[in-house]
Amino acid sequence: MKFAFTVSRKVWLAGVGLALLLAFVWLASRTGPLAPIRITVTRATRGDVQPTLFGIGTVQARRDYLIGPTVAGRVKRVLVDVGDAVVPGQALAEMDPVDLDARLESADAAVARARSAVASAEAQIGDARARLALAAAEASRYQALGAQGFVGPSVVDAKRQLEQSAQAQLVAADSALASASHDVSRLQAERAAAGQQRANLRLLAPAAGVVTSRDAEPGSTVVAGQAVLRLMDPTSLWVSTRLDQNRAAGLREGLPARVTLRSSATTPLAGSVARLERVSDSVTEERIAQVSFAAPPAGLSAGEMAEVLVQLPLLHDVVLIPNAALHHRGAQPGVWRLDAGKLRFVQVKTGVEGQDGLVQVTEGLAAGDAVVLYSERELSAGSRIKVAPTLVEAAP
Amino acid sequence: MDTTVRAGVGIRIEGLSKRYGEGAAAVDALKDVNMRVAPGEVVGLIGPSGSGKTTLLKCLGAITTPTRGRMTLGGELIFDQGWKISDLTVLRRDRIGFIFQAPYLIPFLDVTDNVALLPMLAGQPNAAARSRALELLQALDVAHRAGALPSELSGGEQQRVSIARALANKPPVILADEPTAPLDSERALAVMRILHQMATQYQTAIIVVTHDEKIIPTFKRLYHIRDGQTIEEAGQGRLLE
Amino acid sequence: MISLAGRDILHGWGKFVLTGLGLGLLIGVTFTMAGVYRGMVDDAMVLLNNSGADLWVVQKDTQGPYAESSSIHDDVYRNILGVPGVAQAANVTYLTMQVRRGNTDIRAMVVGFEPGLPGEPAYLVAGRRPTRSHYEAVADVMTHFSVGDRIRIRRHEYAVVGLTRRMVSSGGDPMVFIPIKDAQEAQFLKDNDAIVSERARTATNPALNRPGVPGLLEAINASQTSNHNVNAVLVRVAEGRSVEAVAQDIRRWKHLQAFTRVQMEDILIAKLIATASKQIGMFLAILMVVSAAIVAFIIYTMTLGKIREIAVLKLIGTHDLTIASMILQQALGLGAIGFVVGRIAASVWAPMFPKYVLLETGDAVLGFAVVMGMCALASTLAIRAALRVDPATAIGG
Repeated sequence: MKFAFTVSRKVWLAGVGLALLLAFVWLASRTGPLAPIRITVTRATRGDVQPTLFGIGTVQARRDYLIGPTVAGRVKRVLVDVGDAVVPGQALAEMDPVDLDARLESADAAVARARSAVASAEAQIGDARARLALAAAEASRYQALGAQGFVGPSVVDAKRQLEQSAQAQLVAADSALASASHDVSRLQAERAAAGQQRANLRLLAPAAGVVTSRDAEPGSTVVAGQAVLRLMDPTSLWVSTRLDQNRAAGLREGLPARVTLRSSATTPLAGSVARLERVSDSVTEERIAQVSFAAPPAGLSAGEMAEVLVQLPLLHDVVLIPNAALHHRGAQPGVWRLDAGKLRFVQVKTGVEGQDGLVQVTEGLAAGDAVVLYSERELSAGSRIKVAPTLVEAAP
Repeated sequence: MDTTVRAGVGIRIEGLSKRYGEGAAAVDALKDVNMRVAPGEVVGLIGPSGSGKTTLLKCLGAITTPTRGRMTLGGELIFDQGWKISDLTVLRRDRIGFIFQAPYLIPFLDVTDNVALLPMLAGQPNAAARSRALELLQALDVAHRAGALPSELSGGEQQRVSIARALANKPPVILADEPTAPLDSERALAVMRILHQMATQYQTAIIVVTHDEKIIPTFKRLYHIRDGQTIEEAGQGRLLE
Repeated sequence: MISLAGRDILHGWGKFVLTGLGLGLLIGVTFTMAGVYRGMVDDAMVLLNNSGADLWVVQKDTQGPYAESSSIHDDVYRNILGVPGVAQAANVTYLTMQVRRGNTDIRAMVVGFEPGLPGEPAYLVAGRRPTRSHYEAVADVMTHFSVGDRIRIRRHEYAVVGLTRRMVSSGGDPMVFIPIKDAQEAQFLKDNDAIVSERARTATNPALNRPGVPGLLEAINASQTSNHNVNAVLVRVAEGRSVEAVAQDIRRWKHLQAFTRVQMEDILIAKLIATASKQIGMFLAILMVVSAAIVAFIIYTMTLGKIREIAVLKLIGTHDLTIASMILQQALGLGAIGFVVGRIAASVWAPMFPKYVLLETGDAVLGFAVVMGMCALASTLAIRAALRVDPATAIGG
């Protein structure tokens, strides 16, 4: 390359060299470990915060019935199917009575037999009474005769003994009647027991509800306690919600809640905390709250997942900062406050947190204090910083 | 005009011999050569190729070590059966000027710096070296090309710059090796005229090695060299024709 | 005295600068490779720093949780809280898996964390921290997610509520932070088909599906689909207590392994990155040799192109030292241009790499010294050639 004047070429090249050097220095200062850390800054504000508690739950029926036999047996008939609405007392299913009917008949027969035993015992009493009357009359007649000396004393004794034995026979007949009566009662009771057992084999609906599952078909054998049908009261569906124990402060019955069902994620439903369980889950460290619907939606199914937001009362006029500004250095949370361009870590005490991420500050900051919101790197007291409006470019 | 004369008697060579090789294969390139050149004189050294003129130039230019003899340049004994100077490079830089067959200018230095290079290497400050260079360029009528690169000059201009370079450090001796070989007769005579002029002006002893028929008549004194031996001869001295 | 090297360069500056540019790109590659290594080490250090922990408690006889898989019960942290000197102890889970957004999925390390405790992201660059106990996530910017995106991890959808920076696994995968219970489920629960087939398999097992024990099968299915394990417990030691002493206590009495910060660094850097760093080291060595060879060749060629001038210079009275210094200066000049171009090039293309490339100033300074040394060495070939030139060649014949 030739130029007419050497001077201009040198100047040109010197310019290029200088530009390269400047680019080099600029790059070294802007990127890499020498560059200042970019941060964004926000101010603590005063405002209202609506603390909320979040939990996930499943829709469950408050009242849930397992219909099944009390003894092992075979299912004879199932009278309803899944989805049927039932009324209290409605027959739902029947177990196979096997020999129970025959036993009932035999019990009946036993009672009848016992009754006739009673009748015969009564007849025997009449007979014994008659004998006694006769023996007593004879005894007194002979007594009189004996007293007049017409008969010997042994005859009088014999007649007296007849009277006594007739007395004893009456007593015996009395007790035979009593035992026959008891027999009747006993057999009647046994008959009643067999009858109850037979009645037990008919499974009746204990309350109004909807059949949710049919677990055994006619002919299947079930054991005591196994379900043949499951019933649920559809008006009693509520959401059994689990909330983290350490984020459940302020939870109590009656608080309003918003329930978002998995199946209709865009339309939250209104509800309230109906019951707070007194026993928490210590393994998963969750409290359990039952949240009922203000207006149960149609087509709600048990077992569906839901997200529940319990709303605590609004707090007015408190100092708020975004929770992204909070850092935990050691045990105490704190913020990086900007005092005249210098960073200082200030410990704060926090209160409740709103759903949108604003946290109440109870101690340590005043409204209007400038705090670091976002930073490119971990900050320390001596970090070189550069305030930027935003750290990430907005998504296209 | 600077007419400072380095003291002394120009060039004096006595009994210079150079043998290459040893034993049976030895070649005597120079055999007992005697030469004398006075300051301000331009002397021709003529001989066919292989006659030893290149060897003689090399010995004079302190590039080769002679086997035997004495050499005195500018009054200073430089060789007497051995080099008497410790740094031959400095000798060549300060005491001898070289003019080659081709200008052989340094292509990345401009004309001024080409000429000022040797004084700068000798330790002169740049400004002084450059002003000396400009002086010489003016004397050689080529100062108007002072800032140009050698590639921008014509052959004649380059030749004149190379002559200025040879004179830059005010050496007492200039060795010119076939300076007119590529030139036509007009230009060749012009070069010879310049050489004579510079020799007179700066009292430099100049040896011109040549076999160019065109310029042989210009010398007042000649040395013929053949098979390593020189014979002195008076020349025709027909410069101004 | 003028600079012969400078004049020569100025004379043929185009060629020189182009050569410097080419050499610079090669040197830039070298810087980038060193930056890749430093980035890997920094990834590991950042992983340890950002967890906010002094101790990592993992399964006994493992080197987890990053180098090896470790599984401990999620109620072990209660025992650890009882060890004197422990200020905070938090469960964490780590699992590298695919996270889906829309139609694309990316590979990320899903971290289960507890808010306010070691393991949560230390600082955000956008958005907010999660306020709900489920289904909210914080993602690293290298996932290219934005605040408000809905992402899918295993069976659930999460809303990205915040973004962080430089939260990456030791392998360079960006992190996505979700509540630990969700992470436990994600680690464990499979997709619907797998669950259904698992249930069927359990139902066919007569030991588990006993008709005489109602409710047994449901209980077994429930226990199969619950996960009560975590990968590690992160411990913060109270102020003024010796970390090593607390670690010893945990190791001795709780039959667990506890690693201090120094030990974790050793595991991550010496063991996890060791092979990669050897690869990079070899590559760097080769690059240096290649660069030196190129510089040597270029300077040698440049010198050969000046043989005649060198002969003339020698003849008219230039010392060998001056000529050698000219060649050396040219080699160093080439190296300087190469260094500057290389450093700029590396700074320009480093952010485009998928993993973090850290160009340290110390490395640049060392690189400069090495480049200069290499150029000086490479110039010796040309200097030897120049010194051997016979000045007599200027005098023909």
